[in-house]
Parts: sequence; C-alpha cells; structure tokens
Amino acid sequence: MNDRRDTHDTHGGAGERGAGERGVGEGGGRIRVMVVDDHPMWRDAVARDLAESGFDVVATAADGEQAVRRAMAAAPDVLVLDLNLPAKPGVQVCKELVGARPALRVLVLSASGEHADVLEAVKSGATGYLVKSASTEELVDAVRRTAAGDPVFTPGLAGLVLGEYRRLAADPAPVPDAGDAARAPRLTERETEVLRLVAKGLSYKQIAERLVISHRTVQNHVQNTLGKLQLHNRVELVRYAIERGLDGS
Amino acid sequence: MPKRVKVMRMSVEQPLWRALTAYRVLTMLYALGFFLSAYGDFRRPGVAIGYFAVLVVWTLATLPRVAGAAHCTKPFLAVDLTVALTGILLTPVADAHQRVVEGGPTLPSIWTAGSVLAFAVKGGWRWAAFASTLVAAANLVERGAPTRDTLHNVVLVWVAAIAIGYVVEVARASERTLARALEIEAANRERERLARDIHDGVLQVLAMVQRRGTALGGEAAELGRMAGEQEVALRSLVTGGPSPVSRLSEDAAEGAFVRLVQEPDEGADEAAGAESGAGSGPHGPVDLRSLLAPHTGARVTLSDPGAPVPLPPAAAREVAAAVGAALDNVRLHAGDAARAWILVEDEPDEIVVTVRDDGPGVPEGRLAQAEGEGRLGVAQSIRGRLRDLGGTAELLSVPGQGTEVELRLPKDAPDTGAGARDVRGKAGRR
Repeated sequence: MNDRRDTHDTHGGAGERGAGERGVGEGGGRIRVMVVDDHPMWRDAVARDLAESGFDVVATAADGEQAVRRAMAAAPDVLVLDLNLPAKPGVQVCKELVGARPALRVLVLSASGEHADVLEAVKSGATGYLVKSASTEELVDAVRRTAAGDPVFTPGLAGLVLGEYRRLAADPAPVPDAGDAARAPRLTERETEVLRLVAKGLSYKQIAERLVISHRTVQNHVQNTLGKLQLHNRVELVRYAIERGLDGS
Repeated sequence: MPKRVKVMRMSVEQPLWRALTAYRVLTMLYALGFFLSAYGDFRRPGVAIGYFAVLVVWTLATLPRVAGAAHCTKPFLAVDLTVALTGILLTPVADAHQRVVEGGPTLPSIWTAGSVLAFAVKGGWRWAAFASTLVAAANLVERGAPTRDTLHNVVLVWVAAIAIGYVVEVARASERTLARALEIEAANRERERLARDIHDGVLQVLAMVQRRGTALGGEAAELGRMAGEQEVALRSLVTGGPSPVSRLSEDAAEGAFVRLVQEPDEGADEAAGAESGAGSGPHGPVDLRSLLAPHTGARVTLSDPGAPVPLPPAAAREVAAAVGAALDNVRLHAGDAARAWILVEDEPDEIVVTVRDDGPGVPEGRLAQAEGEGRLGVAQSIRGRLRDLGGTAELLSVPGQGTEVELRLPKDAPDTGAGARDVRGKAGRR
C-alpha cells in the first residue's frame, strides 16, 4: 500500500557498480530511452537525468496516444512509463507497444502506486516498477538493468505478484483438460521463497547469501516469476480471442 | 470513464399528466355522446349545445395546459373548475326536470372529474379536497335535494380525488429522494475523480521536491526529507482512508436524510466480536491492509497482495496491534534509523504477516537465552496476542540481515471465521 521506500531496495543498486557510462548497453551501443509522462516537470527532469547519465533519450511523450505513435517511430530500447496518462491509460500503452515490439522493455515509473494498474502493467509486459520518489541514481540504475532484461522489483511489487499467483491458484481455469500453458501458473517453492524475501526488503545479495545460491540464480528466479505471469496473460488473451471468434462464426 | 456524471431526473409525475390529458379528451367525447343520444329529452337543447361548444373548444385549446405541472397554472385551474361547475348548474336549465330529479347525468358528467384530478395532480390532496368539495356542492344544488345516489357519487368523487392527491404527493417526495440520492452519488464520484487527479499531481510535486532536494543537499535536503514524509502521509491517505461525508442533510422533506453515525468505540466492539466468536455480528470482516497502513511511513514499507485481506474485526485489530508492537520493538532494539518491511500474505489456509527490520539482528543463542530468562518482553506479548487467536508468532534472526517476526493466523481458527473460503482455497491449490 505504501511503497515509497521501495525504491531504495531495487536490487543490485548503483553503488555496486562503477559510475561512468551507465547508459551503455551490453552490446556496446548507447541505450535508447523514451520517457512518457504527462507532467512536463517530471518528463524533463527524468529525460535530463537520463541524458546526463549517458542514455540516448530518443523521444518523450505527454499522453498515451502520442506515446504509442512516437514509440513506434523512435524504436526505443526502454520505455520509462507513467501509468496515469491522458488520452490512453499507461497500461494500454504498455500492452500495445509490447504486443507490437516484444523486444521493448518497459519500466513503470508511478507516483501514486495504484496497485491494480501496476500489476496489470507487469502482466502485460512491463519488467520494472519504480516509485517516483526514487533517487536519480536508482532511476538510472533501474533503466540500465531494465535494458539488460533484469526485472526491477520493489518489495511492494513482489507482494503484489505473490498475491496474484495465489489468486490464480485459488481460481482454477474453467477448462480442466486445457493445455499446460492454459493452466494457472504456479511458483516453485524456491521461487516463492525468493519472492517472499524480496517482499520483505532483502537485496538480491542478501537473498543469495541466505539461500546459498548465486546472485545470478536469484535474478533468474525473480525473472521467471514475471515471465510465467506474462506468458499466462498472453495465453489467456489468445484463448479469450479464440473463444470469441468461434462463438461469433 | 465519463468526465462528468449527469444526474438524470426520472419523473414519476409525468405519466399522470399524460393520463390526465387523455382522460379530458375521452370524457369530453363521452359527455358529448351522452348528450346527443338523449338529445330529444332536452328541454332547452340550445343551452346544452352552447355549453358543449364552449366545453369542446376549452378542452382542446387547453390540452397543452395539462401536459405538465409548469403549464397548469392556478388561473387555468380556476377557469377549468368554473367551466365544470357552470355545466353542472346549467343542467337543470337545459335538461328535462324529470331526468334531473331521477339522477340523470349532468351536462359535463364525468368530465368534471378531470378538472378535480388536475387540482389533485397539481397541488396534492388539499387542493383536491377543495375542488371536489365545490363540485359536490354544485351537484347537490343541481339535484335540489340530496338523494342517496347523489350523496354516494359526491362522496366517491371526494374520496377518490383526495386519495389521488395524496398518492401524487408521495410520488413527488420519493422522486425528490431519488433525485437527491443520485445527486449525492454523482457529487461523490466527481469529488473522488478530482481528488485522484489532484492527489496524483501533489504526489508528483512532493516526490520531485524530495528528489531534487536530496540531490542539492544542505537545507534543500531537509526540505526534501519533509516533502518525502508528506508524500508518504498523503499516499497512505489516498489508498487507505475512508472518504469523508461531503454534506449532511437533516431535512427529511428534501428527500435524503444523511447523518454521521458514531462508530461504537473499540472496547465495545471488541467485546461484541468476542461474544459472537466468528465475527458474524453486525460488523462484517475488515481489510487487514487498512489497519496496517497507518503503521507505514518513511522507514516502514507495506507489501500486500493487492486485494483485500478480510479478517473479523477483533482478529484484524489484534494482528494490527501485534504488528505495531513488533515495530515498536524494532525502534527499541535497532534504533530510529532502522527500516522495516511488513509483508501480508493471504494463503489459502492462513494469513501470514511478517515484520522484518534491517537492524543488526540478534546473535545466535542470545534469543533462546533471553527467552529462557523470560526477558523477551514485547515479543512475548506478540506471541500472546497470536496464541489467543489460535495462531503463532515466530522470531527469526539472521546475522547481518536483521530480525523477522512471522505471525501466522490459521483461517479455520474459531476466531477468524474464514472457514468457507478456506475450503475453496485448498481445493483450488492442491
């Protein structure tokens, strides 16, 4: 409900890495970023911070429709997205853009942390979530890690994802003999363990220490929890579409 | 989502006016037909023809007048009633004396009722009583002597008019109530929409001040810190707080009757919850998240499942109190600078609430030792609270990773009363 300080727990913080050219991606080229926010003050500040840190800010947008149009044209690697947008809600922007360009990474940057929206955005493809009170360092680090494909979790988001898995498990799919993918996704015991530790505010490093696994393994577990949720969401959408299509013919 | 919510006024009165319009035309034709069928019996048909000419013109010309309350003015009603009364009083002049004495129809016959009904629909039962009294008096004068039939008819018109007038008043009052309820609802929704937008803006600015202030350092950092605290306070208010009542009305005549209700105090509530056991009393389950939200702040984060975590009020309060005690413990042992995380999990068969801090933790062995000596103080009271609810409290400390207090509350415990959900949850999970 209140995850302002979440931001301090985004794992593998900037402090662990050297300063320098953080805007440089793993491939060596500059990371192309687009900033979407309806508050000019925020949009400019975020864009400036990112540009100063070496990112290539290829576009900005002030509303949802503009965001979709410009993102298609500018082809950014990372979309820094506010969810509360005029013209088209941020969740919808996320859905459309990730649907059109699966390689796009979305980092949700939200002020009020409306939980339902954040969860919906994450299910439809966003891989990171940060509240706006995050420091510049945290933001820059989050964008860099989002570009690298690492999920940016906060304890608040981990709690939401845990809750979502629990709801899916308690609400079995209507068709019991549907394919594997259609069945409600489950977390392995290890994934649940890792997610609970993230929700309790431990850093990836602390989690790795406690479970005696590598930092990379912790990251993989966290990534899997998101991946399964997003896959399930896509399968559900397709199934829904097929059902509707068959009904309609 | 629509930008504005418009209040639609559904009229229960309008159908009455439409019915009245139809009634006036039909009864005019009826009276006319009655006259023509008995034309030969009339002593002075010319008077009747003259009267009916006036009646037809008047009825048709004033149709728009009875289409709604706004057009149905007092002067119109007065003239209309005069036309009706004149018709009644002209009957002995035009018709054969024999027919009048035998109780034959008056010239306007049942058209008169339309006039009285207009009074009833326009002004309620008092106006209806006034108009029907005049009609009754005119009828008695026309007959010359009050026969039983005449009295019968007069009383019938009188009672019917008053009843209809009363029904109209009731319908109007309920219409006002409905309209007012809709207005209040629309106003509330609009207010919430505005509040969301404003809050979002304010949160953004506060976050911005905090961010920039921290970057600038010095006095600005202090400003930033304060902005951050306000942001936290506002956000927990936005996401958890109950919305206040916008305006109060004590005027029952205006329809909605709104009054602030004093919630029973905690002690009484607790007693009630304990007596009814399963919390099935007058108070439904409460969302545990809303009770934990006040504990959050600059140094305390709440992670919840994103959906209500319902618990009986007494159990929810106990759990929240246990969390409060755990947070006090954090401040006591790990210092004011320590940060804490609350994780709420809604498992199929139990509720798990974990409070973790990032303090130095308790060295191995110290915990068991302290427990053995009965020096656990706050931890002991947390355990007690949970035991009373049929749950458990575990203390876990990992060196370098702070201390965790894990509260587990089974849903099938007699005090939680969540058994039904429990069964379904288990079936779905296993």
